[in-house]
Amino acid sequence: MRRRLRVAALLPLISACIVAASPALSAQSADVPSPVPHHVTVSAGLLWSGGYAIGDRTVELRGNAVGPTAPPFTLFRAESSVDASAGVTGRAGFAVTRDVTVEFGVSYQQPGITTSLAQDAEAPAVTIDAERLSQYVFDAAVLWQLPRFKFGTRARPFVIGGGGYLRQLYQERTLVEHGSVYYAGAGIRYWLRGGDGSTRAFGIRADGRLQWRLDGVEFESKTRVGPGFTALAFFEF
Amino acid sequence: MTRRLASGVLVSVALVTAAPVHAYLKFGVQVGTETVDVRWPDESVRYFLNERDIAGVSAADFRAAVGRAAATWQAVPGVRLRFEDQGFTTAAPVGLDGRNTIGFLDRPDLDRVLGSTSLLLDADTGALVEADIFFNTRFPWSVAQQGESGRVDLESVVLHELGHFIGLGHSAIGETEPSPTGGRRVLGSGAVMFPIALSPGATADRVLQADDMAGAQDLYGDGSLSSGSIVGRVTKSGRGVYGAHVLAVNLETGRMVAGFTLAGDGSFVIAGLDPGPHVLRVEPLDDADVESFLSGAVDVDFRAAFASRFAVAPAGGSSASIEIQVVPK
Repeated sequence: MRRRLRVAALLPLISACIVAASPALSAQSADVPSPVPHHVTVSAGLLWSGGYAIGDRTVELRGNAVGPTAPPFTLFRAESSVDASAGVTGRAGFAVTRDVTVEFGVSYQQPGITTSLAQDAEAPAVTIDAERLSQYVFDAAVLWQLPRFKFGTRARPFVIGGGGYLRQLYQERTLVEHGSVYYAGAGIRYWLRGGDGSTRAFGIRADGRLQWRLDGVEFESKTRVGPGFTALAFFEF
Repeated sequence: MTRRLASGVLVSVALVTAAPVHAYLKFGVQVGTETVDVRWPDESVRYFLNERDIAGVSAADFRAAVGRAAATWQAVPGVRLRFEDQGFTTAAPVGLDGRNTIGFLDRPDLDRVLGSTSLLLDADTGALVEADIFFNTRFPWSVAQQGESGRVDLESVVLHELGHFIGLGHSAIGETEPSPTGGRRVLGSGAVMFPIALSPGATADRVLQADDMAGAQDLYGDGSLSSGSIVGRVTKSGRGVYGAHVLAVNLETGRMVAGFTLAGDGSFVIAGLDPGPHVLRVEPLDDADVESFLSGAVDVDFRAAFASRFAVAPAGGSSASIEIQVVPK
């Protein structure tokens, strides 16, 4: 878990470095690539989400002692986490201006849940690969292409922030958990063609982000933070 | 059924029209080819109180303790059940007289039995006809609000016996160790319906636990809860295990509800669960006399183990069957 937190903490730092300290960075000029205002961009690609803890629980029996504060008897202890997973995503964006795009997206992943059971006086400690979830996220985001910066003539950095609805189905599809996801991150968009408004454009983009998850499959009702990456191909119409 | 202070000695109570235990933490009776639940046919159950005082507990104290325990069962969410106090009687809390009677009784011969419930039921329908509960005057009793060191908390034992009174059997959610004075001592308990009482002075058993409530909801549920169930099998070397105790723990709520494998193929059903994933833990019935729970050739020769995956209880439905493999000790 410590490793995950460290990675998560590094992400915005890396993003900030990309944005602020790249030697290739230069001020915006007339030839910088951008989406054409009021045009639609469609994207599709892959995403990866880091694992995160979903709760520890000490399963206890009531202790046998006089008084209301009898110490409990520990039956066993369980530590659960959602594993890191890759998935697919699709997005549709609308360029409000040259620098601001509003996006809507959907993603699908199948993360597993792992639970470690220990401290049982009678049963040996085990780790169970408990369940594989079918996970959908429907989200909306604002992508802001940083107006003052570019990498060469084809790449431009951006920051992105958004949130959406998290839907997780257990393996047997007999139970649905609902939650929400919020994220913020930064990335780079690279035009393979177009970007100057003269022709239909397409390219690739990638970003790193921090994701905050509320509810869903969660045993402690806590907000969970973890890293995420996306890599997409985009087409502008 | 009896509740023992700490007994490893088999106590046979012949006051009961003995009903075999077939279902998880419920009494059941065989009607034709089916096992039906033993329960009161109406939601309203009347009882009388023996008017006898004993040292430390007046008849009024006794009535109040029984009333509190009855109210605790009535307050279980989603349960349609009502106890009606019919006042005092001189009748003893034994024998067939058409009245449900609760009271103290001198039973010095039952040196480890705190209380006992006898049930008379209609063998054709499983409907309860009469039930009596006695509490053994051999023990020092207390109705003190905070409990009293060295004295058995009456309300706790009343709550347990009223569980039998409404048709519940014993729960096995508890851990014990051999007691130096004989019998077994409770280390921890997860149900009021555990067959061995907490130490004298303890009052924790005045509060029903998830397993107790699941049993009451199963018997007297009003249909307002969308609980789920988990089904599966416990096997050892490929064969079913009879009499294994299967505990389902909801990791989100911490609620523990248990059941038993009640057939030769090792199958079990645990109902009354909050929807969600559960860890399943299987153990042999070695924390109390096997006869406290089940009749038949119960297999206790296996090690405690966990299921290799979650079992997900869906809202208002049942999980896919899960197999839990155990190994001999």
